[in-house]
Amino acid sequence: MNYGPLLFFGIFLTLASSWCGLVLIPQLQFGRLEPVTVEATQQLYPPNRSGLAERGMAVYRANGCLYCHSQQVRPEGFGADIQRGWGKRRSVARDYLRDIPVMLGTMRTGPDLTNIGVRQASAPWQLLHLYNPQITSKGSIMPPFRFLFEKHRIRGRPSPEALLLTGAFAPEPGYEVVPKPDAEALVEYLLSLKAITPLPETK
Amino acid sequence: MIVWLLFIGSLIVLPGSALLALRWAARTGQLEAFQKGALQIFDEEEPVGQMTDHFPGPDRLRRPKPATTGHGSRGDEKELPS
Amino acid sequence: MNSDAPSSFASALSPATDPEPSTAPALLAEIDQSCRAPVLALFGCGLVWLLAGTVLAELASLKMHWPDFLADTDWLTFGRVRPAHLNAMVFGFASECAIGIALWLMCRLCRTPLRFAWIILIAGVFWNLGVLVGIGGILAGDSTGIEWLEIPAYASPILFFSYALVGVWAVITFRFRREPRLYVSQWYILAALLWFPWLYSAAQILLILQPVRGTVQAAVNWWFAHNVLGLWFTPIGLAAIYYFIPKVIGRPIHSYYLSMLGFWSLALFYNWNGMHHLVGGPMPAWLVTVSIVASVMMTIPVVTVAINHHLTMVGHFHKMKFSPTLRFIVFGGMSYTVASLQGVYSALRSVSEVTHFTHHTIAHAHVGMYAFFTMVVFGCIYYIAPRLTQREWPSASLIHVHFWGTAGGILLYVGLLSFGGVLQGLAMNNPNIPFLQIVALTRPYLIIRTVAGIIIGTGHLAFVINFAWLLARQFEPYRGPVPLILAGTQPVK
Repeated sequence: MNYGPLLFFGIFLTLASSWCGLVLIPQLQFGRLEPVTVEATQQLYPPNRSGLAERGMAVYRANGCLYCHSQQVRPEGFGADIQRGWGKRRSVARDYLRDIPVMLGTMRTGPDLTNIGVRQASAPWQLLHLYNPQITSKGSIMPPFRFLFEKHRIRGRPSPEALLLTGAFAPEPGYEVVPKPDAEALVEYLLSLKAITPLPETK
Repeated sequence: MIVWLLFIGSLIVLPGSALLALRWAARTGQLEAFQKGALQIFDEEEPVGQMTDHFPGPDRLRRPKPATTGHGSRGDEKELPS
Repeated sequence: MNSDAPSSFASALSPATDPEPSTAPALLAEIDQSCRAPVLALFGCGLVWLLAGTVLAELASLKMHWPDFLADTDWLTFGRVRPAHLNAMVFGFASECAIGIALWLMCRLCRTPLRFAWIILIAGVFWNLGVLVGIGGILAGDSTGIEWLEIPAYASPILFFSYALVGVWAVITFRFRREPRLYVSQWYILAALLWFPWLYSAAQILLILQPVRGTVQAAVNWWFAHNVLGLWFTPIGLAAIYYFIPKVIGRPIHSYYLSMLGFWSLALFYNWNGMHHLVGGPMPAWLVTVSIVASVMMTIPVVTVAINHHLTMVGHFHKMKFSPTLRFIVFGGMSYTVASLQGVYSALRSVSEVTHFTHHTIAHAHVGMYAFFTMVVFGCIYYIAPRLTQREWPSASLIHVHFWGTAGGILLYVGLLSFGGVLQGLAMNNPNIPFLQIVALTRPYLIIRTVAGIIIGTGHLAFVINFAWLLARQFEPYRGPVPLILAGTQPVK
């Protein structure tokens, strides 16, 4: 094994083989998928995200939400994702067509979020949970995202966006907590996470 | 279609070239006296049988006892000051 | 030939025009002296990143069971600290030390002094710059969101430029080798040096510059990330083990044929493993199955290497008492086997159904990156640094603190967290158990991890102190007894 060119040849070919098999062939097989029109609603799936939700996805990415939350529902019979109510069907490739980057996630320190827009469709709940997860989920180890919110003195009347905080979580009298634009964007993104539309490939 | 072509093609090319390379190696004598390659890292400065690392300091515990089987003539049994 | 002519870079590119050609294999001391500045610089910077990464690790670990800790600043939120830790360790500590070790081994095995050290020093400056800017970017919120590739697009070209310099240097050194035979470690190092830039640039192009569509990104992501471990760190770690075990004990590798089998089967199978990170995911079944099969096939190279190393060590295990390098290298080598076998069983669908998405995966990652690769790096530095500085390690006690702290700490970490992860996975597959209850059951294991982190961190501190002290010793004339390691070589003041 002293012959350099032979070594180089083998080193090149071996990685080339998996580059072909795991990158090139998948690209050829499902790299050109397009959104489909759902018969029942005549809407495109996956739908376009609103600008605010796209911004929210950037906030999700910047703050590393994917390190605790997955976004993939495993098939029925493999794990208990669907039985837990994390989705009505398994996730498929088409669900991720509009995602850059695709944040499937590899940890479930927190629950799967593929369908969180279905499970927790209330913006006030999402904002409270982000501000301090203990409010809605006592015992959670999710960090509080207070830095996405602003606490300020109430000017005249309380603002409509102010969080309804009670008990130990409420600010001092005369103060209110309002979400910053990033918090609103993030919530908009989370509410957009729905993958229950039946598709041809999921029948 | 192209997926299948690529797949079958690589299934032939990869093991095929590996076997060709093996045949070439055997024919040009690359595989004779192969075990000698393992001796490449030893030389006169650091020959076979000499341990080349130790703990720092003169602590007696940190040197192996002299070998009694005649294997390893230097280095292994540095006499320590008592 | 004009011997007064300065040796210019261009003319030195070919043995035919090089004004100072030499074909006699260089003395070990000459090689070590030539490596001194660049390799010590790489080790030193790598160890600074080790400390930074350790602090980030402890922060992340604490936040997992104490979520309120330092939670009010955005740059310290868990989701940023965690990738900062990973990148500081992978690209800061591990990669820099890997390059330092690879350079020294290449010089030793090619029997040629390290030439054009300035290339490596410049590469080192740029590499550190790239990692620093990258980690800063992650903490500032510019992470790419792609695991193992989080360093923002404005920092990765810096890393790439630095690596190109290292690559050029490696080709020149290989061209100028004075030892025509190639030892097994050189096969692994050459392979790693060729594979890594391909992986990194392909990932950058297909995921960041011209992102592929949809889940093809996941395929590229895990082809890349898994291969950083399997085709960059693993070969360099194995190259080190194949060199240091025989070198320290004074006995050649048991079977050179097995080493050839091990190398080629690793090259063939390892790079196909990546999709085992996506079992149950939105990928075609054939893609995942191919990776599971390749993962199982990995038992061939892993068992081959384990047998080879074991049979080389048989009868010589007692020497671990007398050599710091051997302790760390053998610990690392055994961990390689454990990590790989854990990987094999984790890839099976029935096991992945339980352990995927749990702390078991994190524990497994640390068996590979820490118990195997990091411990091997420590062993290498223990051997190489005294030879470069021509001084002995100042303190045996610090070495003991380092070894027992890191070995004990990592065993505690991976043992308990693997177990906790399995419990977590079993509970997750039981839809009657509410999620918050699962979180509560993992909490004790997360706390134990933080404790293990303190023990490991103590080991790191001991090592860095010893290393800094060793470097400082170079500035005093050497007064101690001639160390064994320098017997037979020319000591240089």
